[in-house]
Formats: sequence, C-alpha cells, structure tokens
Amino acid sequence: MTLVARRTLVAIPAYNEAATIRAVVERVRAHLPDCDLLVVNDGSLDGTATVLHGTGATVIAHLCNLGYGRAIQTAVLYAERAGYDRLVTLDADGQHDPAQVGALLAEFDSGRWDLLVGSRYVVGRQYTGVPFGRRIGMRLFSSLVGLMTGHRIYDTTSGLKVIGRQTFTPLTKWQFIDFHAEALVYLMRLGYRIGEYPITVADRRHGTTMYSALSHVKYPLKTALMVVLGVVEANLARRRAS
Amino acid sequence: MTAAGIVTGIFIGCALLVWVIDLVRRDRLYAGYGVIFVFGTIAAMTVLIVPPLLRAATAASTALLPVPSLSLVALVILTFLMVYVFVQISILSNRVMRLTQELAIRSPQAQDSVAPGAGQRD
Repeated sequence: MTLVARRTLVAIPAYNEAATIRAVVERVRAHLPDCDLLVVNDGSLDGTATVLHGTGATVIAHLCNLGYGRAIQTAVLYAERAGYDRLVTLDADGQHDPAQVGALLAEFDSGRWDLLVGSRYVVGRQYTGVPFGRRIGMRLFSSLVGLMTGHRIYDTTSGLKVIGRQTFTPLTKWQFIDFHAEALVYLMRLGYRIGEYPITVADRRHGTTMYSALSHVKYPLKTALMVVLGVVEANLARRRAS
Repeated sequence: MTAAGIVTGIFIGCALLVWVIDLVRRDRLYAGYGVIFVFGTIAAMTVLIVPPLLRAATAASTALLPVPSLSLVALVILTFLMVYVFVQISILSNRVMRLTQELAIRSPQAQDSVAPGAGQRD
C-alpha cells in the first residue's frame, strides 16, 4: 500500500505557539502534501490563530486551555468522526521534522503496529544529552511501561506518533494526562501493538516547555498513578468485552 | 497511639485509598486531585505504622497533649468531605472539557479552500 492510499490527518496541538506554528504548518504542507492538516488551538492567548490565516490548515479551537492530553484527544475524536485511517501528531514548537514522517508512515504501513512512536532513544537506548532529572524520569517511565506490559518503550514522551484508526475508540473512551506512558500502557494492555521508529529532533528555539517547576513533581506522581490505573482499566475492559 | 487506634487508622486509610482510586479510574475525580489523596494517605499510614516516625511527627507538631479522639474523627470526616467536594469539581470540569471539545470539533475553520476530510482517498 502506498503512502497516499490511506486517509491521513496530521494534527498539531498548539498552545501559545505563534512564533513557530506557521513555519511548522508550511513544512508539513511541503513534506506531506497528500495529508490533511489540523491545528488544535488549545486556548492560546497569543496570536496563534491569527498567524495561521492562509496556510491551508484546518483549525479547531478550544475556548479555554485544556492541556496537551485533551488537545490530542480532540484530534483523535475529529479523526474518528471524519473517517481518517491514521492520525499523525506533531509538536507545534518545530522540534519535529515533517520530512521524517514519510518514513514513519511507511513503517506503520508494514501492518506490524497499531501505534508507532517516533523515538529519539530507541537506537542507542541511552538518554544522552538529556538533563539529569528528566533522564531519571524517562528511565523510570520506560522501565514502568516495560514492567507493566513486558515491552519496553524508550521514548514515552515523544509527541510524534502515528495512531491507527483501530485505536481511536479506546483513546477517546478514557482519560489521559499527556498521552505518554499511561496511554501506551493502556493500549498495550488492551492488546494493541505499539512500536518505536528512530527519529531526530531539533532544539526548541522559541517559547518554553509546557512543564512548570511544580509539574516536575506532579507529573511523575500523576503519570505513575494513571499507568497503574491504565492496567486496571484495560483488564476490566477486556473482561467486560469477553 | 493505641494498637486499636492504629488499626482503625489503617482501616480508614485503606477505605479512602480504594474509594479515591476507583473514583479516578471512573474519571469522577481528576487524577491531579487523586494523587494528593493517594500519596497523602499512604504517607499518613506509613507514619502510623512506623513508631519512630509517629513519635517524630508528634514531636514535629509540637503537640503537648494527646489529640482527643473526637478531633481525629473530625479530621476523617473532613477528609472524606474534601474528596466529595473535589469529585463535584471534577464532574463539572469534565463537563466543561467535553463541551469545549465538542464545540471545537463542530466548528472547524478551514484557512484556505481545504475542507476537513478532503485528503487523498483510495
């Protein structure tokens, strides 16, 4: 099956990304001309919506900021209702190179995966160049995913993913914080196949990370709780289905 | 604290944990609030179980007199009430969230002539 034979939606969640979003959209347009493009404006207070005029993207706007996880969930809901076969998620800060998405889609089309993660660490399996605190967190959640599912994912926080249609319904039925480890564990425990494909990312040039100082404490606790609950919920869902 | 008091405390803590975790699982309580109760309860139960920690916590709170059991009952009731209040806030927050998502999906704005769902087909 060729790259363009299936309907693909590229979704970019954006919160206060006026400085970068237009360039990201234009690069997606140039590299993925056969894919539809959706920007989920997650209640931005800057000119994110304004700078998108004339880019050819479809924009849907949250009236208030719901957070990254809900923005992705909105994109999944949109893709499900519009009948897309695959959803590609990209970060709005320009760190992901849309030129790499084609290879990801080709790997996804091999039929081995229900969800494919663009991974920065799957090749070397080392978190080199990552700040110490973040490195500990990444190791912890990667190990936790391995412990809960028997299959380790090395880049649980990657924003570049290819999501297959078969996973749309479960992804809209349950709550996720950031669509990271908790979503991966939930899907894998439901029996979906999740893989990683190597990518490289650029450094962020504008804006700041979505994680505040306080969230460095809150995020691991919340995610750890949701990972455990993801296992419970997936087991219950499978039991209900059988 | 007496052995009976510790056992009662552990029992109440376990009941709170089960309740909170089930609420978070059913999306009735926001995970961010749930985390506070879960880890708070686990910390309190750990202090109850480990005597040196209980002594240290008592000293740190500069308690001169034993806490009346009625105060502990009030604390337990207050904790359960707080969970209830947070559940109500979470329910309302979930409704706003779903409404916001639904409004967004129902009013897509195509920036050029590109309509949603107009990608390449088989």
